[in-house]
Amino acid sequence: ALLPTTENEHSFFHDSTAKAHHKSTPQPVPPAALKLGQDGFKKVCRSEEHSPCPFPGLASGVLEMRVKEGSKIRNLMGFAMARMQGEKGLCGGGEGGLRQVVFTGSGRAVTKTITCAEIMKRKVGSLHQLTKLQYKVVKEVWENTEGGTSEMTVHRTVPSISILLSKDPLDPQEPGYQPPETIGALWQDKEGHAAPSAIKRPPEPSLFSSLPHCKRVCSGEGVSVSPLLH
Amino acid sequence: MSEPRNPGMSSLHAVAPVQPSDSPCAVDIDPVEYTLRKRLPRKLPKRRNDVYVNMKTDFRAQLARCQKLLDGGSGHREICVHGLGLAINRAINIALQLQASSQGALQLAANTSTVELVDDLEPEDADEVAEPLTRTRNNSAIHIKVFYPDP
Repeated sequence: ALLPTTENEHSFFHDSTAKAHHKSTPQPVPPAALKLGQDGFKKVCRSEEHSPCPFPGLASGVLEMRVKEGSKIRNLMGFAMARMQGEKGLCGGGEGGLRQVVFTGSGRAVTKTITCAEIMKRKVGSLHQLTKLQYKVVKEVWENTEGGTSEMTVHRTVPSISILLSKDPLDPQEPGYQPPETIGALWQDKEGHAAPSAIKRPPEPSLFSSLPHCKRVCSGEGVSVSPLLH
Repeated sequence: MSEPRNPGMSSLHAVAPVQPSDSPCAVDIDPVEYTLRKRLPRKLPKRRNDVYVNMKTDFRAQLARCQKLLDGGSGHREICVHGLGLAINRAINIALQLQASSQGALQLAANTSTVELVDDLEPEDADEVAEPLTRTRNNSAIHIKVFYPDP
């Protein structure tokens, strides 16, 4: 019931990603929640509701890094890398540290979460990856700042990502699996196994001729935005 | 190929303050003023079922385009939704929306990657003895396969 399907609620999800909740009017919530922020309401509390672990069957002791909007990448990575590589003094050199780590983040922290996983893949190397997406329900409590005692609770759905990185092999059939060392190769010929019909794009000149509807808004400019619009 | 020369650079926030179109002023590169010009990410594969999500087009329009690809007459069994940097969130949102409105018929398979981006730094003043510079930085990207699983 939390996932709306009607047309006009799409914008709600979009806005909630952009965290524009001060000006946006979340539609699926009670009508009283309209014009939050402008109407003298202040957000006093934000908590994520428990959602099922996207990786069933994962060992219980796995390190989970919860990436938040304000988390510093160097702090996260400093901690996670130390755990994955193992303290050098304690383990007698060689293989040490944890076998798996999970990075999770929601809303505006999603990009940072991916960045952390990407940095770790580069630094550690040979890591198997499993990526899962889901909506997460966030509970917000808003308080009337204009003297009233009224308080209201808003349930907001935000997209979240969970990335499992593992030194041990994972099930390649699982949707969202990525084998080690796909760095850089992915963007160029995306998922060769899944789409063998992938056509390599011919270099520059034919790029535009193959896009007949291309608006030539920026033909005079060195930087063209057209390919992204399609 | 992309060594971790500067992890901070791959963070979105490291690049966020600079908006080339809004402000003609340079970053923190003194003494000459530069215009920062972000090049487009290169080598975009583009099949009929590839959708590159951006932050300029209306969200609903992009969602509708994906929906149309999946259930229109051409009816693709799978599409790929790509998002880079800030657009990652929107790409995920689109994919989750498609899945939600399909009553569970659609599945998602997300992959992540790092994209190397090039910035051009062009001297503001042509008389100054400043060389045009380029800088590379990394940004994160997501590629979501939205597909009907084989029965």
